[in-house]
Parts: sequence; structure tokens; C-alpha cells
Amino acid sequence: MKAAVLDGLVLGLQFGLLGVGLTLVYGLGGVLNLAHGALAVVAATVVALLMDAGLPAGAGVAAGLAVAGALGLLIDSTLMRPVYRQTGEERVLLGLLLTLGVAFMIDGFLVWRFPLRGLSLNIGGEAISILGVRMRSGSLLASVVSILVGVLLVVFFRWSRMGRAIRSVIQDEEGAQLVGVNPVAARRLIFGLSAVLAGLVAITRSMTSPVQVTAGIDFTILALIVTVVGGLGSVLGAFLAGILLGIVNTISSFYIGTYITTIMLLLAAALTILFRPAGLLGRRR
Amino acid sequence: MTSTKSEPTVPAAGSRARRSLLAAYAPIGIAGALLALVPLSIGESRLLMGLAVGGLLFAAYAIAFNVIFGSTNQLFLCVGALAGIGGYTSGILADRAGVGMPLAMVVAAVVAAAVGGVISWIAVSRSLGVIFTGIITLAFSLAFHNLLLGQRDLTGGETGLVIQAGEGSLLRELVPPYYGLLALVVGYLIVYRLLQMSHIGWAFRALRDDETTAELAGVDVARYRIYAGIIGSAMLGLAGALYAHTEGYIGPSTYSFGEVDVRVLVMLAFGGIGTLLGPLLGAVVFTVLDEVLVEFGQLRVLIYGGLIVVLFLGFKQGVITAITRLFGRFGGQRPA
Repeated sequence: MKAAVLDGLVLGLQFGLLGVGLTLVYGLGGVLNLAHGALAVVAATVVALLMDAGLPAGAGVAAGLAVAGALGLLIDSTLMRPVYRQTGEERVLLGLLLTLGVAFMIDGFLVWRFPLRGLSLNIGGEAISILGVRMRSGSLLASVVSILVGVLLVVFFRWSRMGRAIRSVIQDEEGAQLVGVNPVAARRLIFGLSAVLAGLVAITRSMTSPVQVTAGIDFTILALIVTVVGGLGSVLGAFLAGILLGIVNTISSFYIGTYITTIMLLLAAALTILFRPAGLLGRRR
Repeated sequence: MTSTKSEPTVPAAGSRARRSLLAAYAPIGIAGALLALVPLSIGESRLLMGLAVGGLLFAAYAIAFNVIFGSTNQLFLCVGALAGIGGYTSGILADRAGVGMPLAMVVAAVVAAAVGGVISWIAVSRSLGVIFTGIITLAFSLAFHNLLLGQRDLTGGETGLVIQAGEGSLLRELVPPYYGLLALVVGYLIVYRLLQMSHIGWAFRALRDDETTAELAGVDVARYRIYAGIIGSAMLGLAGALYAHTEGYIGPSTYSFGEVDVRVLVMLAFGGIGTLLGPLLGAVVFTVLDEVLVEFGQLRVLIYGGLIVVLFLGFKQGVITAITRLFGRFGGQRPA
């Protein structure tokens, strides 16, 4: 039981990071990015390819994150422009469908070009005992990275000027514009950042279990569930939901079975929408 | 996206009524007659007939989805799941419970209608927007897929089910299934047209153009949304059931999100959301395209992704609307 909770925590931190990116992009631009998972897999694939070519892991990871981020920026500055011109439900729908198309393009390309490629990073070292549970060094490193990045994000959004500017756009785009914040720049920055975060999650996941090129859709759905449960547009909510769902996930797959677990996660999202549409920490729109 | 204002006009009552009635149903007759000729040229080939049947199945799905999404803006991302409910219900009832096949198919349609109605009712009563309806129905699709995999005793899990009901009947021969599905598609088109011309169609157009105004004008938006959900879902369930009996085998991938919903979305976007023949045209074009591109293997997914992007960026109202507009320019009058 204790092992399951700890494992769930490790997983949940990564769920949280995955959800944060999606939730921020939605909060800022009203686009639910269905290519989120595909961008994560791009990063993992780049790392795997570079490491095969003999590059050290660190350089590979840096390059993978950079490629994902650049792709995010590219999508935002090209395909998303007509989306941002729309308003209300039209914007939501067009954003949804275009990013779905992008997801297929990326998935199709990766599976076509590198069909059997997967990334698994082996972190050496002894298993370490925490609270009487032996944890693999891979999952420890994954959680340390996730916690670190999570704290950085919270600090950035709470105290930095840029972070506060971005939050102001989430709250009220016109108001933010009036006090001199550029919402276009904020959106672009966040789209890139969210792609980097997605890539990071795929890379930390690969420290505990291999990430295949076909994993994009699974990442996207997980991110969706986390975002919905945490509340669209809430950073802390995404982390809270991620940890909660991570623990539920490992406990239930340990005691009940995997297929029921997936259903439970989906049910969590559905029930949240039905009974608390704003999510755990989201604001009502 | 669905601000298609160029709806075919509802025929006015009075002296022109009969001519307009003809004009309203002629496109269905022509399309049906053209499709009825298809087996004459490819009737020998098992492969091509299989493709044609698949194409008609997707046309039926797309028309049903058009009733739900095109008419009332409810983004049901569970087309495959609803069809699957139909297919599995009918197959299991007929094979395990000994229910007659026609009755089993009717029950399947009713069950799918009930499920779709409940989803629609939930979406309406919690006033979920497009995005939340989309997420909830997507979650439902994936949960259904997992249930199929998990409930091995009932559904055969990953390996699927061999459907015995229908064996030895016309449904398993080479050409009759095609005509069976064609009849279904023509029937669905007629239902769509009937809906369009009735008071329900007026309500659909009103609520799609401007929900608040429609509500203020006395249109019970919630009720008509649920109607659309029920009718469309029944159509999906029946189509899924008929396919199960003609094919003789169903598995989780027969009705999965990736196999059904995504394609239906592309077909509808291509043909034109909210048009009569758009879904049919989309299904025909994509069935042909699928076969032409078959040698590209995985690259096809990339091509489809690109197509989705181009379609939704470029001509959002679909090919049918573009063509009608072209005709309108030359003929001076817009054909219905």
C-alpha cells in the first residue's frame, strides 16, 4: 500500500506537469491542444535518436526539449493564428480540430519514419529506501525533476513580472491589454513552454518505463483528464489533480486491474465536468 | 464554424409545394440510383465490394453524426461507441439469448438511442458547451473501448466476437449486403430531409444560428437537442448492428475512436457540415482515397492529419456548399 502511494506520487507529479501545459494554453488562448501528447513524443524520439548517434544523455535531452518547444512556437505562430481570430465556441472548436489534425500529422510521421522506436533512459545507481519502501533511482530522479520544475513554475507565475502578466491575460484579456500586456506574446511563450513541459514529462516517464512513438494519444488523454479535474486554467489545480489521479491510478491498478483503472480515470473527468465544471481549483467562467 | 447560412430553403406551402417536394427529394433519389449501379461494375470482386460496403457504413455514420452535430452543435465524439453498442447488443442478443435477428437489431437501435439520449440530456441539463460535451463523450468512447477489452466473457475482449446470426442468409453473400446498407443510407437521408422540413428542422436551424435568440423566440432548445441526440444515436446503433450481422465479426477496433470518429469527422468536414448529401459525398471520396493511399501505410495518417488541417482552415463549409455556391452563381438560383 505504501509502495503504491509513493509510486502514485511519482506518477502524479508527472501527470501534473503534463496537465499544467495543457491547462495554461487553454486558459490563455481557449485552445485545447490535442497535439500535446504528440509534442511530448517528439521530444522523446529526438532524445532517443541523438543518443543512438552517440550524444550524451544531457545534450540529447536539451535538444529534445528545444525541438518540442520550437515546434510548439511554430504551431502557435502559424496554424493557431486563424484560431485566435475567432471568438467563443467557434474558437474552441476550430482549435480542437486543427490540433487534432496536427496530432495525426506528427503521429503519422513518427510511426511511419521510426516505427519501432522507443525511449527508455536507464538511470544507474542503487535503489534507495524511502519510508521503508525501496524506490528505483529512475523514479526518484523523475520526481525530483518534476518537483523542481513544478516549484519553478509556481514561483514564475506568482512572483515574476512575466508570470503575473500571463496570469492577468488568463483573468481578463482586454484588461491586461489595457495595462500594457501583449496577449499574443504571452500566448506564444506559453505554447512553447507547454510543449517543453510535455517533452519533459515524456523524458522523465522514460526513466521508469519505455515511451513508444505511439504513446502520443495516451499522453494527450491523460493531460485532458488532469486538466479537467484540476480546472481549466489553474496551475496548482493541475498539480493537485495530477497527484490525486496518480495515486488513484497506481492503487487501483495494483488492487483492481488496469482496465478498470482507465475507466475510473475517465469517470473522474466525467464526474468533475458534471458536478464541479470549474474543476478542483478553477474559476467559474 | 457552423455558421452556414446557405441552408436549403424549406418549401413554401401552396401552389409550389408539389414541385418543391420533388426538388427536396430528387437529390436523394439521384444519389441512391447512382450508388445502386456500383455493384454492376465491381460486383465480381470481393475486395472492392467489401470496400463499398464499408463506405456505405461510414456514410450512414456520417449522416447520423450530422443529425447530432451538424443540426444541433453537440460534439458527440462517441460515434463509434454508439455504433458499437448497437453492434454488440444485437450480436450478443441474437447469438446468446436466441432473439430473432430483426428484433435484436431493433433492440440495439433502442439501446443506442437511450444511451445517446441520456448523454444528450446530461449535456443539455448541465449546459455543457462544445468543449465539455466533446470531452465527456470522448471519455465515454474510451471507457466503452476499455469495457469491451475487459469484459472478455461477454465481448470476446481483444479477439472480438464472431456473429453467427445472419449466417447463411442473404446478408453474407457478396452483393446483397451492399443493397441492404444502401437502403439504410437512403432511409437515413430521407429521415434527415424530413427532419429538415418539419418544425424540428426549423428549431434546429434557429438554435444553431443563435441559441439565445432561438430560446427567446420560444424554441425549447434543450428538448430539440435531446431529440437530435436520440434520433442520431438510434441511427448509429442500427447501422452498427446491421454491419455486425453482414460482416459476421466485430472487435473493439471495429468501433474504436480512431477508426470511426476521426474518419467521420473528416468525411463530414469534407462534404459539408449541415448539408444533406455532404456526409455521403465525404464517405464516398474518403473510401476511394483510403484505397488509393493504401500503399503508403502509416504515411496515410500523416496525410489525413494534413487534410483535417487544410479542410478546416480552407473551406470550412465543405465541398457541397462550395459547389452549390458555384451553381448559384451560374444558374442564378440555388438548387436545394
